[in-house]
Amino acid sequence: MPCERKPMRYGHSEGHTEVCFDDPGRFIVTCGNDGDVRIWEGLDDDDPKFITVGEKAYSLALKNKLVTASSNNTVQIHTFPDGDPDGILTRFTTNATHVAFNSNGTRVAAGSSDFMVKVVEVSDSSQQKTLRGHEAPVLSVTFDPIDDYLASSSCDGSVVVWNIEDQTQVISWPLLQKTNDVSNAKSLCRLAWQPGAGKFLAVPVDTKVQLYERGSWDHVGTLSDDLLTQPINVVAWSPCGRFLASGSVGGSLTVWDVNSKLCVERQKHEKGFTVCGLAWHPSGGQIAYTDTEGCLGLLDKLSTSTSDTNATKVTRESHQASALDFLCSDTGSLKLGQDQFVEDDVRGSIVAPGLAPLVPLRPAYEGPLPTPPQKAFQSGSTPAHLTHRFMMWNSVGIVRGYNDEQDNAIDVEFHDTAVHHAMHLTNSLSHNIADLSQEAVLLACPSTDELASKLQCLHFSSWDTNKEWMVDLPKGEDAKALCLGQGWAAVATSTLMIRLFSIGGLQREIFSLPGPVVCMTGHGEQLLIVYHRATGFDGEQALGVQLLQLGRKKRKIISGEALPLSHRSYLSWLGFTAEGTPCYLDSDGVVRMLNRSLGNMWTPVCNTRETCKSKSDHYWVVGVHENPQQLRCIPCKGSRYPPTLPRPAVTILPFRLPLCQTGTEKGQMEEQFWRSVLFHNYYSFLSSSGYEIDEDEQNKSQKEQQELLMKMFALSCKLEREFRSVELAELMTQNVVTLAIRYASRSRRMALAQRLSEIALEKAGEIQGEGQEEQEEDYGQSEVAGGLGRANPFKVRDPNVATCFLTWTVKTGTVLTALIEYFQVSEKPSSLSGPRVTNILDNMTSSKKLNALSGSAGKQNKSPVLKPLAPRPKGKVSISLNLSLKTQERTEEADDQKQADDPPAPSHTDDTENKRAKTGFQLWLEENRKSILADQPDLEETDVIKEAMGRFRTLSAEERLPGPDPEYIKTLSRKLDDTRKTKQEEVDVREGSVAWEPCRACYSSDGTKH
Amino acid sequence: MTTSSGPWSDCMPASLAAREILCVVNVREKSHQTRPNQTNKMDPSEVEFLAEKETVKIIPNFSLDKIFLIGGDLGPFNPGLPVDVPVWLALNLKQRQKCRIVPPEWMEVEKLEDIREQERKEKTFTPVPSPYYMELTKLLLNHASDNIPKADEIRTLVKDIWDTRIAKLRLSTDSFISQQEAHAKLDNLTLMEINTIRAFFLDSLNCMYKLRSNLQPGSSQGQFMDY
Repeated sequence: MPCERKPMRYGHSEGHTEVCFDDPGRFIVTCGNDGDVRIWEGLDDDDPKFITVGEKAYSLALKNKLVTASSNNTVQIHTFPDGDPDGILTRFTTNATHVAFNSNGTRVAAGSSDFMVKVVEVSDSSQQKTLRGHEAPVLSVTFDPIDDYLASSSCDGSVVVWNIEDQTQVISWPLLQKTNDVSNAKSLCRLAWQPGAGKFLAVPVDTKVQLYERGSWDHVGTLSDDLLTQPINVVAWSPCGRFLASGSVGGSLTVWDVNSKLCVERQKHEKGFTVCGLAWHPSGGQIAYTDTEGCLGLLDKLSTSTSDTNATKVTRESHQASALDFLCSDTGSLKLGQDQFVEDDVRGSIVAPGLAPLVPLRPAYEGPLPTPPQKAFQSGSTPAHLTHRFMMWNSVGIVRGYNDEQDNAIDVEFHDTAVHHAMHLTNSLSHNIADLSQEAVLLACPSTDELASKLQCLHFSSWDTNKEWMVDLPKGEDAKALCLGQGWAAVATSTLMIRLFSIGGLQREIFSLPGPVVCMTGHGEQLLIVYHRATGFDGEQALGVQLLQLGRKKRKIISGEALPLSHRSYLSWLGFTAEGTPCYLDSDGVVRMLNRSLGNMWTPVCNTRETCKSKSDHYWVVGVHENPQQLRCIPCKGSRYPPTLPRPAVTILPFRLPLCQTGTEKGQMEEQFWRSVLFHNYYSFLSSSGYEIDEDEQNKSQKEQQELLMKMFALSCKLEREFRSVELAELMTQNVVTLAIRYASRSRRMALAQRLSEIALEKAGEIQGEGQEEQEEDYGQSEVAGGLGRANPFKVRDPNVATCFLTWTVKTGTVLTALIEYFQVSEKPSSLSGPRVTNILDNMTSSKKLNALSGSAGKQNKSPVLKPLAPRPKGKVSISLNLSLKTQERTEEADDQKQADDPPAPSHTDDTENKRAKTGFQLWLEENRKSILADQPDLEETDVIKEAMGRFRTLSAEERLPGPDPEYIKTLSRKLDDTRKTKQEEVDVREGSVAWEPCRACYSSDGTKH
Repeated sequence: MTTSSGPWSDCMPASLAAREILCVVNVREKSHQTRPNQTNKMDPSEVEFLAEKETVKIIPNFSLDKIFLIGGDLGPFNPGLPVDVPVWLALNLKQRQKCRIVPPEWMEVEKLEDIREQERKEKTFTPVPSPYYMELTKLLLNHASDNIPKADEIRTLVKDIWDTRIAKLRLSTDSFISQQEAHAKLDNLTLMEINTIRAFFLDSLNCMYKLRSNLQPGSSQGQFMDY
């Protein structure tokens, strides 16, 4: 009979304890030496209800009412489960030792240290019967289920059966060792009468249980177990009357099948303490027990099928218990003829109408049960009932709350002391929720009878002298969750409302939520709210999520979609990454992040439980960073949250997408690639919402992704997976595809190379299409933004601007290296031929063409080189440059208009689509080739280029611009409109844009398709 | 993540870089030391200096990008995030209240109690948690005792371990001399421990050698043994 022994938990202070279940089996009720009766909703109940019944509680019995034997020599009644005192049942001259109800709850028997046993009617305590005859303190009393007899054991060594009506002894067995007091008795000798017809009386005698038959009072059997070495303290019958459980001094718990007299379950108390209380759950599926150290334990999942009769089973479902009792005894009798009498009696008990049913019937609902909805919480806080707790731990700092006898205070500490110095506040309003940002501390307290719920904001970054404001919420409205963003604060209240405030205390928008809030968090202009969408069933929570953008353009990004959680888990942390991507942690330890490039779906990025050593260890998340990829959290040994002392240390966990077969090289690279893609989504988000982004980092990430793609490509080539290689090539940028083509042709995979070149062409076509679209959008945007829209360098015609660009790019070292890299992969200058000169001219006059020709330009808007020109809050480009750009842009627009009217230049480019336009360096090389060759005539072609590159690098920006080529100017002038001012200017422009070309090409070569 | 917590000098004064150089110079000097009058002499402070190169975790309360020192790159420093730095830097930052020091793993009452018991039980030297345990304990407890729980107990425990080990050392020195051994091997000794015994031990051996060589001509083996 396998069962699960749940870990013990502290119940009472050290000393004698007793335990029982209430009739429906909902509560475990214990009493102990501390005089409290505790009502547990289950073993996991951390906050049991308690009733104080006296200084000590010696014994308890529960049947509709709670009867306790307490230290003031009385037997008291309390209502259950309310715990109101309901009078005193009886008194003794010294304390009662054991109390017991009869089977229908009408009478109570109590044995006392003054040698007496009393039987009292619960409804009328004046109707008492006193059983005298014991010559020492009474150890235990128990009623016969048919109410005729009462059995008692005593320290005088006797076990006596009394006739209650006559108040006479029926029989007395001298079974026990004589002692002078209960405290000296070796065993508590708790008797138990078999439920139902009361066929047997079980008497624990030393290490065995003796069974006596009702009526004849013959000794009919002994239950023993070889492993039992110490005296048995208590015995208890299962509700079906078939099994008998015992608890002994050494902490052994044994269950026998009475029919077969075989031991069906042995368990040992985890610490070997003496078991002094034992009770079966009314369903028979659990045994609760307590020990003399005051701890409570539970044996669960007792499947009570016997070892010798495989078909018998006592079910755990209470509403089925009686029916199956019948079954079990029936099959038992078939198998075991010798136990016929048991079967008869048990059956009799079921048929017997006069008896109160042992198991109360409950309406049978077997469908899914609703889950209690999780309470609102602040992510990064520890539970509110703790006296010392974290009210908030986020990437800015720590808010600690102390609430003990001496102090009710809040400590605010900043990770970076440059933000603000630490603060200590007295918490006179008893705030219980808090948030912290670089600008302010926000606190809120619940309402009391007199005072409304308050919101307090310590706006420490304010430049005026008032650093604090406070707002009372309307009556009946309680703050449930709050958060701070950049320049705003939000409070979710119990009336399903979200109130927005400016950080200075101005009331702003107010709106309703579809359900009670669970958690809320803010970052920059984004507000993320998680709320209860509906009732969850079977342990699941039904949460909804909203993501709002509160900037100038307010909009809903996620409108009330379901928040995916692991099976039977709840939300335990909600926040944004430092870069502003929403993510959250559920109680199963899975971190999920919003994938903005996948239609705002949630992707699991880490399972913190994988790194936990033990099952009860958890990680408490305090922050998520996308670059570098860090999950900052606090490891908690054996708990879900850390204590305030000793000060917990933050550790870093890596992210890992749960892809398949990450043990293999392929899986590993796939995981790296997709993780890299996911964790760099924020670039496009940031740039789309107008923030500054670190282009170097972005390029690095894109390069890393393309490298991974190339590696995967090589791997699948090696594995002869050409189809897969083509699939990979589709993810590559056009430049990398050319590399892939080269790889394929070198490894003699001509079919693959052929397909790849098709892809390359396709990509070139796509880029052209996109480029045009984007450009059209650009026109619209720049008009709307009134000159603030993004400037397109390829449209620039003013020579000053062009030089501006050039010097800017030349100054940044990366561009220079990029230039060289570009050159290394590009075609040899010697292969350049005459016709392409006209191509360059086309490039100049039509920026659309240029895109098509360069091929590798990528989406113009996404091309990072463009970014410096976009208006940015904290751009590194000097303001003067920005200003000049703005003014020039207007003239540009005019130019563009004109150009749009021009018929598109005839396409010379069909055959040369993939070839590149000349770079500034190439032009310069053509001019200076002669001089290089003159200096060192014996150089090979490649050496010439190297030499040239060296020289080119030493040149200043202006020098790099080649002198006006008369050939160009002539061709140019033919194409020029009348509006163009001078030839010289135009040439300058051409040079500017050409010199730009390599950088642009190189940057976008790393760009993804998106 | 973008941080600008003031200039370099704010968090890393020039003296730190100077310390780096000093460190390198000093190590070189030690390894090439040829001053005859001072051979075998090494200051405890010099051992401590070497110990300061050990790394320790700190939790900075400022933010700073990676710093590039001769001894290696340090950082980046993120407020609230533990980072490994050498002890000298940790102490410097601590003194300027720029960080909290996370005590090394072994600096914990239970672990030290175990080590102490082990040390008392074994006759030979047991491995110590860190080759600079004494120096580190002293440095960290003197400068950052507020960051180390149960600092006083730890101080006592480490002192106990130290005393036990030094007693063992004296005992083995005694037997080394009394048994006239020429060679002995001691495992698991730390630099500081060697250093405490070195001056006395070598001097006394020298002295004995002189006495012996004076005795040598015409002296009998028995007299020699007597000494």
